[in-house]
Amino acid sequence: MSLLQANELSVALRLHAGDFPALSNLSFKVEAGRTLGIVGESGAGKSMITRSIAQLLPRGFSVTGGSLRFMGQDLLGMHADARRALFGREIAFIPQEPLSALNPVLTVGQQMQEHLLHIGVRRGEWRDRAIAALSDVQLQDPAGLLAKYPHQLSGGMCQRVLIAMAFVSRPKLLIADEPTTALDVTIQARIMDLIADLRRQHGTAVIFITHDLRLAAQICDEIMVLYAGRQAEYGPARALMEAPRHPYTRCLQLAVPAMTGPRRGLYILPERMPGLRAVRAMSGCRFAERCPLADSACLAGEPAPAKVAPGHVAACLRPEATASIAPPPPPDHAAASTTAGEPLLKLDGLGKVFVTRRRLIGKPDLFSALNSATLELHQGEFFGIVGESGSGKSTLGRLVVGLEQPTRGRIMLLGRDIGNERAETRAFRRENVQIVFQDPQSALNPRRRVAAIITQVLEAAGVPEAERQVRARELLAEIGLSPESAHSYPSQLSGGQKQRVNIARALCRPPQVLVADEIASGLDVSVQAQLLNLLLRLRKDHGFSMLFISHDLSVVRYLCDRVAVMNRGEIVETGRTEEVFANPAHPYTQTLLASVPPDQAAADTLDHQGATP
Amino acid sequence: MTATIAKLVMRRFLVAIPTLLFVSILLFVVLRILPVDPAAMSVPPNATLAEIERMREQMGLHLPIPQQYLIWLGDLLRGDFGTSTHFRTGVAGLVATTLPATIELAVMGMILGGGLGLCGGLLIFYFRDTRTEAALDVGTIAVLSLPDFLWALFLMLVFGVVWQILPFTGRLSPDLDRPVVTGFLLLDTLITGQPKTFVNALYHMILPAMALGISAAPPIIRVLRSSLLDTYQEDFIHQARLRGLSERRILLRHGLKNAILPTLSLMGVQFGFLFGGTLLVEIIFSYPGMGNLMVDAIRNTDLPIIQTVGLTYCVMVLLVSITVDSLYLILNPKLRAR
Repeated sequence: MSLLQANELSVALRLHAGDFPALSNLSFKVEAGRTLGIVGESGAGKSMITRSIAQLLPRGFSVTGGSLRFMGQDLLGMHADARRALFGREIAFIPQEPLSALNPVLTVGQQMQEHLLHIGVRRGEWRDRAIAALSDVQLQDPAGLLAKYPHQLSGGMCQRVLIAMAFVSRPKLLIADEPTTALDVTIQARIMDLIADLRRQHGTAVIFITHDLRLAAQICDEIMVLYAGRQAEYGPARALMEAPRHPYTRCLQLAVPAMTGPRRGLYILPERMPGLRAVRAMSGCRFAERCPLADSACLAGEPAPAKVAPGHVAACLRPEATASIAPPPPPDHAAASTTAGEPLLKLDGLGKVFVTRRRLIGKPDLFSALNSATLELHQGEFFGIVGESGSGKSTLGRLVVGLEQPTRGRIMLLGRDIGNERAETRAFRRENVQIVFQDPQSALNPRRRVAAIITQVLEAAGVPEAERQVRARELLAEIGLSPESAHSYPSQLSGGQKQRVNIARALCRPPQVLVADEIASGLDVSVQAQLLNLLLRLRKDHGFSMLFISHDLSVVRYLCDRVAVMNRGEIVETGRTEEVFANPAHPYTQTLLASVPPDQAAADTLDHQGATP
Repeated sequence: MTATIAKLVMRRFLVAIPTLLFVSILLFVVLRILPVDPAAMSVPPNATLAEIERMREQMGLHLPIPQQYLIWLGDLLRGDFGTSTHFRTGVAGLVATTLPATIELAVMGMILGGGLGLCGGLLIFYFRDTRTEAALDVGTIAVLSLPDFLWALFLMLVFGVVWQILPFTGRLSPDLDRPVVTGFLLLDTLITGQPKTFVNALYHMILPAMALGISAAPPIIRVLRSSLLDTYQEDFIHQARLRGLSERRILLRHGLKNAILPTLSLMGVQFGFLFGGTLLVEIIFSYPGMGNLMVDAIRNTDLPIIQTVGLTYCVMVLLVSITVDSLYLILNPKLRAR
């Protein structure tokens, strides 16, 4: 008997118009002590699985078929009290957003106490147990931590507290839903190690939900790839990674830039994953519309998961053809940028000190976000700035755009100092430097239409409405959006489309320098690949330079000609991207690179006990 | 932790000082501009113009208004609130005897109104997406749409006149002796050990306090409900469910503890209004508080009383808002983090 077994599990949104399937006939199992990775892009149905296990489905959704059993007990038909008795004891969950998963008005101690008493620890013993649990997750000064509130801790510390809470009851099953997505790479690596250690110690089975196929391959025994609520492929992690048998798995692999080896192109999946409505109308394979190998047979009927190897199934009519999908050629970096001649933008000993608190008497509290940054950006060059949160990379970007004023150093653009707030400098800077913000959701005014948003610069310059409409259409064509979307509001667009609009706004009057602050994070890998290629194409057409601020090293490796690595307000290493990533000189760069999951599943370096099922 | 709270509360007190100064100037100047002559009213009706003029000089009314203000302010700071032109007694004494009654009424109104609001908010949230919610919603809007003086008349009519279960005039039945220790009737009857009088006083307070507090409840209900709905979108609520906590525990310990914060800032504003509302309610229920004193003073153009009572109202409103703000600080750890 498996620890957790799903059999033909189906979940649908029930409306008057009928059922809209969110999960269709999913079968999988988790054996004691093993790790199952569930991988897919947003909308694939990953979190619907957690919600089915917890029976906390969103409003309107319900299980329409199949079964879900935990240690032989029926999780779906179980009484709510019985399920509550399992949760926190036998089944534990680790959330995606550690900072918001702890109650902000209760101390860590109060929340640990509540949880420990709930799982049956005696009142007199909770403190010792809590301290022991917090030491288990390698938190310093656990006793002092109990008196702290969540906002006084970092994201990584909060996640450790949550992991401590999850493991304190020695659960049989741990469900981790994107537990490190919100964290820095080095923290991510440490958290993953920690989960792996505790799993080994206690023999806990883990369901690991992620959008990152490489990360899943690194830590899981088996992987299930979901597409539009269907199981695309399910099998041993290593086999699935080395020889994927479903085109979607292969496309996902190729949509992510490689960290090692020669640079290759990104496979671009066209369009988007079908939503609930579209899936209902489909009769064939749900991936067929985007699949490079699809033919008429694929549209005729939905392929059932079929065995391709022992313990390895794929829902594809021609699984063996998957290997024929090849990556496109790498982008041509050399032609677009020149490092010769006078640089376009020059940062010279740039620094920024923030006043964190003013006092009536005495010196104010200061925080130095950027110590002394010196770099040169050439015409047409894409320059990556990588580092963890708090490294000062965003501050650098904001200084260049003029959102903050430097406290030391100079910013020279086209031979002019733009590090001041004089009116003529402001006008010059506006004309030549533009920024794209990280979160398009909050960067786009929800009450304005797309056409008005992307031509905002022209509005300020007093350009007539008709002319702006024409420019809006041109821009939409350039970023690959339909002309009709000019009349849409941001809320009517998908995440990737919003980010395109966000970019179009900055390019309305093509600038010399574009500052892009984490613009590819939070996007699905296929959308991210589309966006990166869009940036490369726009550079070819307009020849602008870009400061690309990112924590994602593989994206920087793909996109950028040169890179600067930042740590605690310092640039610790600068150089050509491929050279820096292949032979990092600074210890910090080495740590950073070591934290990124490898391209291929390094299964032999981890202990995967037991035979694959 | 307590040190930082004390520091922040101290800061609030410091900010209150300029507010008070501003209100005192406003009050003083407005009353001086009014076309009434306090000197003429302080002399016998058959006094001559010369006598009035002498009175004016004696009262300092011939001086420029800023100078008069400074003299008044100086007296205030020395604890001299002046003499009532009508009652011919010290204003301080008059206010001191009526203020506790008003405070008692206002606090009772806040307890009833706030309690009703919090319970209503929790109830309406608990019944979300059901018919009961719709019914409660209609009730809330009905309560909101009636002004409090109409509520006063309505409550008086139903509970006092028709059913005759609650008294609706004064603070105490006339046949009972009133103990005086602190001036707060409920407190005094407890201190002197007179449970019968305590209950009687409490009965007298229910209708006016209800009339005062009831209209504070609907906005509290709405804000509490919507902030509970917001809080329930948060990850920590979801995580609490995944840890197997009961819904009741999640609501009271995780939901309410967060949702109470926006509700609390609303209550601060509401209770400020509520203090001003005592005036009308006191008159309707013939409740011997500061409101009745104020109305008498206005009727008699008794400027020293009007000034002092006006300023007292201001002090009370500031105290209420400082209290609520401090409570907010205690309940919200993020604000303390400095």
